[in-house]
Amino acid sequence: MFAYVIRRVLATIPVMALVALFVFSLLYLAPGDPAAVIAGDQATPQDVERIRASLGLDRPYLVRFGSWVWGILNGDMGVSIFTNLPVTTMIAQRIEPTLSLMILTLILAVTIAVPMGVVAAWKQGTLIDRAVMGFAVLGFSVPVFVVGYLLAYVFALELDWLPVQGYTALSKGFLPWLENLVLPAVALGGVYIALIARITRATMLEVLQQDYIRTARAKGAGQGSILFLHALKNAAVPIVTVIGIGIALLIGGAVVTESVFAIPGLGRLTVDAILRRDYPVIQGVVLLFSFVYVLVNLIIDLAYTLFDPRIRY
Amino acid sequence: MNRRTFLKAGAAAGGMGLLGGLPAPTLAQGTAARTLRFVPQANLANFDPIWGTQYVVRNAAALVWDTLYGVDENLVPQRQMVESEEVSADGLTWTFRLRQGMKFHDGEPVLAKDAVASLVRWSARDPMGLMLRAIQQELVAVDDRTFRWVLKKPYPKMLLALGKNNSPCSFIMPERIAKTDPFTQITEYVGSGPMRFVRNEWVPGAKAVFERFADYRPREEAASWLAGGKRILVDRVEWIVMPDPATASAALQNGEVDWWENPISDLVPTLRRNRNIRVDIADPLGNIGTFRMNHLTTPFNSVKARRAVLMAMSQEDYMRALVGDDDKLWKSLPGYFTPGTPLYTEEGGEILKGERRLDAAKRLLAESGYKGEPVPCIVAQDQPITKAQGDVTADLLKRIGFNVDFVATDWGTVGQRRAMKNPVGQGGWSMFHSWHAGADCINPAAYTAIRANGAGAWFGWPDIPAVETEVSAWFEAKTLEEEKAAIRRLNKAALEEVVYAPTGFFLTYQAWRANVSGIQKGPLPFFWGVGKS
Amino acid sequence: MASATLLSPIEAAPPQGVAAAAPMPDVLPPVKPRKGFIGFVRRHPTMAIGGALLLLMVLVAIFAPLLGTTDPTALAPARRTREPSAMYWFGTDMLGRDVYSRVLYGARVSLIVGFSVAILASVVGLAIGMVSGYVRILDSIVMRVMDGLMSIPPILLAIALMALTRGSVQNVIIAITIAEIPRVSRLVRGVVLSLREQPYVEAAVAAGTRTPSIILRHILPNTLAPITVQATYICAAAMITEAILSFIGAGTPPTIPSWGNIMAEGRALWQVKPYIVFFPAIFLSITVLAVNLLGDGLRDALDPRMAKRL
Repeated sequence: MFAYVIRRVLATIPVMALVALFVFSLLYLAPGDPAAVIAGDQATPQDVERIRASLGLDRPYLVRFGSWVWGILNGDMGVSIFTNLPVTTMIAQRIEPTLSLMILTLILAVTIAVPMGVVAAWKQGTLIDRAVMGFAVLGFSVPVFVVGYLLAYVFALELDWLPVQGYTALSKGFLPWLENLVLPAVALGGVYIALIARITRATMLEVLQQDYIRTARAKGAGQGSILFLHALKNAAVPIVTVIGIGIALLIGGAVVTESVFAIPGLGRLTVDAILRRDYPVIQGVVLLFSFVYVLVNLIIDLAYTLFDPRIRY
Repeated sequence: MNRRTFLKAGAAAGGMGLLGGLPAPTLAQGTAARTLRFVPQANLANFDPIWGTQYVVRNAAALVWDTLYGVDENLVPQRQMVESEEVSADGLTWTFRLRQGMKFHDGEPVLAKDAVASLVRWSARDPMGLMLRAIQQELVAVDDRTFRWVLKKPYPKMLLALGKNNSPCSFIMPERIAKTDPFTQITEYVGSGPMRFVRNEWVPGAKAVFERFADYRPREEAASWLAGGKRILVDRVEWIVMPDPATASAALQNGEVDWWENPISDLVPTLRRNRNIRVDIADPLGNIGTFRMNHLTTPFNSVKARRAVLMAMSQEDYMRALVGDDDKLWKSLPGYFTPGTPLYTEEGGEILKGERRLDAAKRLLAESGYKGEPVPCIVAQDQPITKAQGDVTADLLKRIGFNVDFVATDWGTVGQRRAMKNPVGQGGWSMFHSWHAGADCINPAAYTAIRANGAGAWFGWPDIPAVETEVSAWFEAKTLEEEKAAIRRLNKAALEEVVYAPTGFFLTYQAWRANVSGIQKGPLPFFWGVGKS
Repeated sequence: MASATLLSPIEAAPPQGVAAAAPMPDVLPPVKPRKGFIGFVRRHPTMAIGGALLLLMVLVAIFAPLLGTTDPTALAPARRTREPSAMYWFGTDMLGRDVYSRVLYGARVSLIVGFSVAILASVVGLAIGMVSGYVRILDSIVMRVMDGLMSIPPILLAIALMALTRGSVQNVIIAITIAEIPRVSRLVRGVVLSLREQPYVEAAVAAGTRTPSIILRHILPNTLAPITVQATYICAAAMITEAILSFIGAGTPPTIPSWGNIMAEGRALWQVKPYIVFFPAIFLSITVLAVNLLGDGLRDALDPRMAKRL
């Protein structure tokens, strides 16, 4: 198994290298010239040329790719064209809101979705089941920004229960932090809840037909203990897998949610950077997001081998 | 149930005892009142006011850096960091003396050598600075408080150049910072202005923070725009960037921010209904919308095609698309100069007035030799002003009979593409939209967009000698009457050959919480004199 | 992601096309005798509802010019931001354009993007998956590339691709397709690999049947069912992604009325003129819902193991 772990970890290296090459090439090919943006409205073409040269944007492809990779390996993602701040600094400044949003959404989604799915499977075919499934389909169908605006309208503007926008650092207290994140997390969580609820229900249905559940039932175990102890434990692997894969949804959704709720996180940094052609920042952020995604799924994969002895590789 | 109690109630109801024990910080009333939270028009992405010339950078820089002179609300340059100046009888030698006791934010005194280094860097990037540089004999520090600028030719607009509000302003920085190449960003943001930039709280795209500079010595005079005593009444100014107007509006209504620089006019009625919010015009000098054509490529290399646009375009359509239903916010503009300023003229403006003549425009276009070639319109979607104009233009050009190739893109790409002189089909372009602050268009001094000196002109490269003749005539004019005459001729020539198509003159609003006082109207937000109770 | 093979393709395929993987029906579903329209509706209510709604939207899109609309791009700034009324059923937007007409014409863009991406991603994904499943040498390379692409969140990838090029319906379709291809390829590859182990395929190989013929007769038909189901989810995902791209400002050009564009333009006024966002949002949600229901229905119909549980 140790060999497997090593193999699995090593396998992520080519994937990340590929992502790096891809991300770099993608933006190398992009039209739009940061030098022109920087130069501003009044600049002459000569000004633009000079700025381009001073930023090193006129060097050949391989030279730029090489120096970029070398920098990353040394913990240096380059310097933002617009702010002159190191990309690592900019990411560090914005990682807390995004991380907070994602973790809160994750907790919210799991605590709501898993019981939902379990109950739906238990009450299969009833109104509750149909309601859960209906909600799940709806969650897939309504775009995250529509949910976001609806929530902001009702809970922030009409009822004035929660703030409309912004982010308060966790260091300034738990409640202010939570206040700012509740609405975005609910908006972002919709799709995720739908996804987890569905997979939970499906796996539970499968597990509930297994022999050992019948055995447990025959031995007189209570309904609750059957559902949450015996069945859920055995349904855990696919559920956890989907939670990991769903991180991609969270990342994509965060880009939009952070714009709607004016949260100064990585998602908005990404959109801003793309609109401004801030190459080093785009590269850094996309690479980071991909890295997180690969890492989370790697951890989940490895966790199976530790927790579920039935899985052999 | 209000907001504060909601979560607490939730916490209690849910038995979240853990949370109850955590501090729920209620900001002390005093602290909140000493922090002014401001929503700027755009993101402060870089902070070098010489290197980057976006309006938002200039606005922030005016807090951190001071200028030698500053224009007052009558656009007259007044002494700011300068105590006195002296000009020789031939107008060639200027000697400036700095005020005593001025300090930079790092505690160092402001010296003449700092001013000289700053002027050197500024004059490499600014249009008026470049003119000065071209006729410069020497620029030297005489002693700690005196410096001298010797020219080869008189330059009557010297004080305006040093005190103008148009970007880039000649901000004074410490010599070590000002020695940075003008095409490289500075990395230290130390000035001698009334507020200090708190760099470690700066999150580009989200937040910028300024703190009152205790050692700042305001002038004795009352503040007026960039002139007079810049007295800061709060401890801290926080700029909070909100790309989405709906979010900004909601935040202002909820009291999460104090002052919003550019509310869109459709939201203004809602803001007005709120008793805690005040709304007023932001800048009486307003803005001029522009439809900029490429004079080098088909079809707009023909003056007939350009005039076809002028005679068919409805400035009312453009302005309503831009500012909404409020008729007080816009004027049609049969000319190029800011309405309500001394040089304003409508000379030659008939083509933009009265009934719009679509059929005549179609005929004129046919005469121009246009044969249905694609006309790339590059329109930035991320700027509300260019986006709204672009939508109207697409409709207009289609109706005149142009084969519109609508290139929806972002401001950055417009910036790159418009610099290309290639023919259409090889990356070239036909038209783009922009806007100019009315304050930049009161005369030709900082009005690069009106220039028509071919390759040296702004994007579109109009080459119209008659216009350039009048620009020189204005620079050399000795009296207001001479200036006016030159501008009248300039306006007429510029409309005849169509340097660009003005889409109209429009005003924008600003909005603030009722407990904020002292907000002025002007081309940029002035934070001095603004208090909060 | 070896463990992904534990998932059923359906549950692992939410709209945004999160990694879907492998297992597939062991055999083709038995063809059930049709007992008329009512019988169909009774057996597959979700499919019927979804199909009906989708059909309705398709009809609306096709016959938009006949449904009391005006030119959806005609400007009239003088009558901008009118509330919904008998004259303007859904009101007018900030340029005075008729929102009802725009929403109806907008159905075309959403449906074209949804269907095109579903078809393109399926076809290309099918080809890549087949090659990967059959040509051992290419398999690891192709799958590493797909892993790489898949580890960039699809919306982020689509935004980045749109930043490369100019906004047009065609480019939106290409960008979203590229973001969706890896998932289809993985699905197909999984199907191919497991089908090759099936006794009847092995028998065919042993009998000397040539590879193209095996692919045509045994492999392809069995991949069609999971691919069709996957395609409907991709279609739904593509419509939402298109709306998100336009919302961010990187989608279809504003000269074309698409639901995403209408919402993006109306969002600044959402607080005072909510109907500009409301109507396209409802239409988009209903259409995506219809496609999702259709997908669920198809899945149940094509995979009887699943159907028993629903």
